[in-house]
Formats: sequence, C-alpha cells, structure tokens
Amino acid sequence: MSDRIAGLLFLALSIWYGMTAGNYEAGFGDPLGPAAFPRILAVPAALLSLGLILRPDPDPTWSRGVILGRQVATIAVLIAYALLLDPLGFPIATFAAVLLLAKLIGTSWLKAGAAAIIMAPLLFVLFDVLLGLPLPLSPSI
Amino acid sequence: METLTFLAAGFQVALTPTNLALALFGCFAGTIIGSLPGLGPVNGVAILIPLAFSLRLDPTSALIMLSAVYYGAMYGGRISSIMLNIPGDEPAIMTTLDGYPMARKGKAAEALAISGVASFIGATFATVGLTLFAPLLAKAAIYFGPADYFALYVLAFATIGGISGANPIKTLLAACLGLMIGTVGLDPATGTARYTLGSFNLYDGFDPIVAIVGLFAISEVLILFEMHVAGSEPIKRLGRVIPRWSDLKPGFGASLRGSVVGFIAGILPGAGASLGAVMSYSVEKRISNKDDTFGKGDPRGVAAPEAGNNAASGGALIPMLTLGVPGSGTTAVMLAMLVSLNIQPGPLLFQNQPEIVWGLIASLYIANFVLLALNIPMIGIFTRILSLPQWSLMPFVVMVSFLGIYSISHSSFDLLVMVGFGLLGYLLRKLDVSLVPVVLGLLLGADMENNLRRALSISDGSFAILVQSPISIGLYIVTILLLATAAVMSLRDRKRRPAGSEVHTLEE
Repeated sequence: MSDRIAGLLFLALSIWYGMTAGNYEAGFGDPLGPAAFPRILAVPAALLSLGLILRPDPDPTWSRGVILGRQVATIAVLIAYALLLDPLGFPIATFAAVLLLAKLIGTSWLKAGAAAIIMAPLLFVLFDVLLGLPLPLSPSI
Repeated sequence: METLTFLAAGFQVALTPTNLALALFGCFAGTIIGSLPGLGPVNGVAILIPLAFSLRLDPTSALIMLSAVYYGAMYGGRISSIMLNIPGDEPAIMTTLDGYPMARKGKAAEALAISGVASFIGATFATVGLTLFAPLLAKAAIYFGPADYFALYVLAFATIGGISGANPIKTLLAACLGLMIGTVGLDPATGTARYTLGSFNLYDGFDPIVAIVGLFAISEVLILFEMHVAGSEPIKRLGRVIPRWSDLKPGFGASLRGSVVGFIAGILPGAGASLGAVMSYSVEKRISNKDDTFGKGDPRGVAAPEAGNNAASGGALIPMLTLGVPGSGTTAVMLAMLVSLNIQPGPLLFQNQPEIVWGLIASLYIANFVLLALNIPMIGIFTRILSLPQWSLMPFVVMVSFLGIYSISHSSFDLLVMVGFGLLGYLLRKLDVSLVPVVLGLLLGADMENNLRRALSISDGSFAILVQSPISIGLYIVTILLLATAAVMSLRDRKRRPAGSEVHTLEE
C-alpha cells in the first residue's frame, strides 16, 4: 500500500514535471533547448511509477504512537533551530536545541541539560574560534 | 616506470606537514565515525565536507582528508559489528555473521585483529590497483566524446539500478528523482529558470552538499528512534590486543581472495563496498565452508568480507577519478565536494592536475599504515567510544551538520532545505529505496544533460549521433546486458524469498 501511494505521488510528479517543461523555450544554436531533457526524463519516471503501483513491495512497519511523536517533535525542533539561529543567536538556540534533542532521544532533563551546557560552548569554540566561521552570538531584536 | 615517477611526486605532496596531519586526523575521525552504530562512510564524509570548506583547504588537502575518513570508516565499521552485533554501516553487515559469534566465544581481540589485518590487505590491494589501473583508464577516457559520456551516465544509472537495489524499479525511480531535482534552477545554456516555483532561492538549484547532508545525516537521526538494540549484549572484555602470528594465519588466504573479489565489485560504477563485502563472503563460504563452521565464528568469515569491503572502497575511487562517475555513495559525495571546489574529475584531471590524483594515491598508502596502527594496538580507544550514549552523540551529529551547512551559505533557507531532504531521505529509506542513486542523479544530472545537448549540437539535432561511436555502442551493450542479468536475478529472488522480509538499508 505504501508503495502504491508513493508510486501515485511520483506519477503525479512526473506528469507535472513533463508538462511544466513544455513552457521552457529553446535558445539559438541549441537544438535541444531547456525543455527536452526534462521531457525525456519524465517518460521513464512515469513508466517506473506505474511499475511501482502495479508491483508494490510489502509495507514497511511505519512508526506510530510515542516513536512517531518523537520523530515529529524532532523535525519541529530542527525547523525551529533553522529559523531561530539568526534571531536568537547561536548560544541560546543551540542550548535549547541540544537540550530538546537529547531529551527526545530519551534521557533525564538533568543529563540533557548537561549535554546542552557542554555542547553549546564547545561547538562555538570549535566553529567560531578555531574554524573562523562567524556565528551570531547574541539575540538580534 | 612513468607511474613510479608520478607516485614519487605524489608522496612529496602527501608528506607535507599539513597533508600528513590531515590524513592522520582523517584516519582517526573516520575510524570513530565508522565504529559508531548507524554512522558510516557516507555520513562521515558528508558531515566533514563542510569542515573542509570552513578550514579553507585546497582541493588536494580536502580530498586527502576525506579519503582518509573514507578508508578509516571502512576499517571502523567492523568494530561495532564484532563488539555489539550492530553493523556500523551497511558493508559491515557481513562481518557480524562470524565476527559476533567469535566475540561471544571470548575471541573478540582475535576477531578485531584478523579483521584489521584483512582490512589492511584489502585496502592496500585496492590502492595498488588504483595506482596501476587509474592512469590507464584515464588515458582511454581521453577519447570519450559527449555522446560517449552520455552513454556512460546511462550505464552508471543502470548499474546502480541493476545491482545495488533490492527492487530495481525503486532504484531506477530514485535515479529519476535525483535527475529531476538536479534540473531545478537556471538552465546553464539558456538561462531559463526551471522548476524554481518563482522562488529566487532556488535559482542556483539545490546545492548537492546540502541535499547529501540532509539525506544521510538528518534521516539517520529519524531512523535512530526506531532502532531497537535487542538480543545482543555488548562484549566488554577485550583481552590481549597484540595478536599472535597463529591468530592471524587462518585469515590470510581469505583476505587475498576477498580483496580480488571486492576490488572488481568496487570498480563497477554504482556497486560499491556493500556488494564487495557480500560477494567476498559468499565466495569464501563456497570455497572454505567444508566443516560448516561459517556463521559460527569462523575467522575466514571475518577476514573475507572485511578485505572485500575495503578493497571495494578503493576500487570505487577509480571510476570517480578517471571518468567523473562515482562507483559508490561515498565517492559520489566526494565528487560533490570536488565539483564545489571547481575541480572536475575525469581524464583531464590526470593531465592537468596530476598533483591532486597522485597526492591522493600516495596519501592512501600512508593512511593504510596509520589505520593498521590505529586498529590493532590502539583498538581499545575505539571500543570504549562505543559506550558513549546516544543522547549525547545524536545532538552532536545534528549540530555539526547544521553548522557545516550554515558555514557554506549563512542562509537559514539552506538549513530548511537540509531538513526537508532529511525527511525525504527518511521516507525513502523506510520504503527501501536506495539513496545513492538520488545523489548520483542530482550530481550527474547537469553533466548528463550538457553532454546530450553538446552531442546534439555537433550533429545538428540528429539523435543518431548517440549510437555512432564504437565506445558508446559498447557502453550501451554492457548496459543492456547488466539490466538483463539484473532482471533475471530479481525474478529468481522473488521466487526464492517469501514476501515480508524487511531490511533497513544503511547506505555505505
């Protein structure tokens, strides 16, 4: 079932991909133009998706319950970190991210806090001081 | 003799203090990364690429460091296989079959020593092979025209689809997906914006390195939540780490046979180290399993796959360096890094910048001896690292990935793209779709398209040029043969293996 859904999604993607390519116009002295390669590519992609829909593999075990919750929470933490790194500054953002990630993996708040309080300065020294990558230090509000 | 002169020049490059230090660091870091369960050479190299950028290394030094990490991770992969019964990476799966039983019998130190020496034999064999064959192939590749390169890319994708994947349809779909992702951005020939959905952030396309770190490192974090360590207790006691000659003796024949088999598997574009390990183990089992000792702690069953996967990883460097077509996931990642540094591997690299190629080859000889030293007398350090808890390790890997990507562009958009690729990588891995073809497609897509367009402007739009040179015809014949073999094998597999067996693949 999972394979069939993936196949359908991919079939839709291939059709959209091939159709969109039609809008790209050819330049001079370039007999193929920017549209041809995507169009050629869309054909095997669509055929292979059909193949997947017709001959799916057995379903994998999808995670659910607590594990799924933790995975979703992890992605949320990662997205938040990407968005908040600049506004919050490196030390605060990293402390919070490491704390939450360590907690999500499954440990006590105390150990997670210890990991965060060690790792945030360590990474700052490693990347900013030693490797010369300028990191935002303080919150910019 | 020409080769020896070049190699001598290579050693001059490799023995400069910076390069030597980077090789040592790479070996050490690689062994650690390889030995951690779940982190293999691809993740290791992917995480360290941004480091190479932020250190502002020149291409030779960066390549030397990453290759040392690559070799080191191949050595290190066996450690958790033997001690914990958890393979550090996919190529090390075969090592658990006899390695863990040996450790259970109290022979953990012997198993580590035998596999260390086997890794050394395999890697050295492959490095010698690289020294001898790479220049020859590079000479031949000078004659490749655009149409031949297009044929070569087709062959590379077909090989990956045919050999490495569990389900060829999925592997080929993954390659298509990679090629599609690769076309996003401004078309280099005409400047048309393709598939950018109106976002200026996408005009440069997806940076392969951002995609790779997301696909491998971030997806690994999500997979981690589902890993259950059950039914295997870690081996605590090591005993004497310096092996006796009599401990090592049974592994030699197996190591040599494994090296040859692994090296050949490695050269095939798209096959890589996992195939090398699997083939070496099954060949050795067929030859040596007379008393039914394999799977119960036979030293030859430890030596053969380790020699095989190390030989294959060296062999995989050959198509990457000479043709610009990587033979495995890790070499694909290294190719991405070279391209970002404006180095295009291929036959011209050997002519124009021999110091890169030969400096790398010479460093690999040095790395091998360093790794032998790290992996036999100093093995205790690495077995202790295995007891680091996941809750301290995983956040560290995540943060290093984020900072590495941040160091390239300082843009939070790239970080979000990385998380997106992480989610994609997780879903694909759950569906048992190999990630290597996605990366190859993303990486080679632009070149594949350019060669096609160049060929067609030579012929003025006639597709006949694609099948006019003997080289391209030969490549297409090989492609068809490989696909046919793969189809036959997968039909046979389907009959033999009942449905419902699920394997989480960790990419090599």
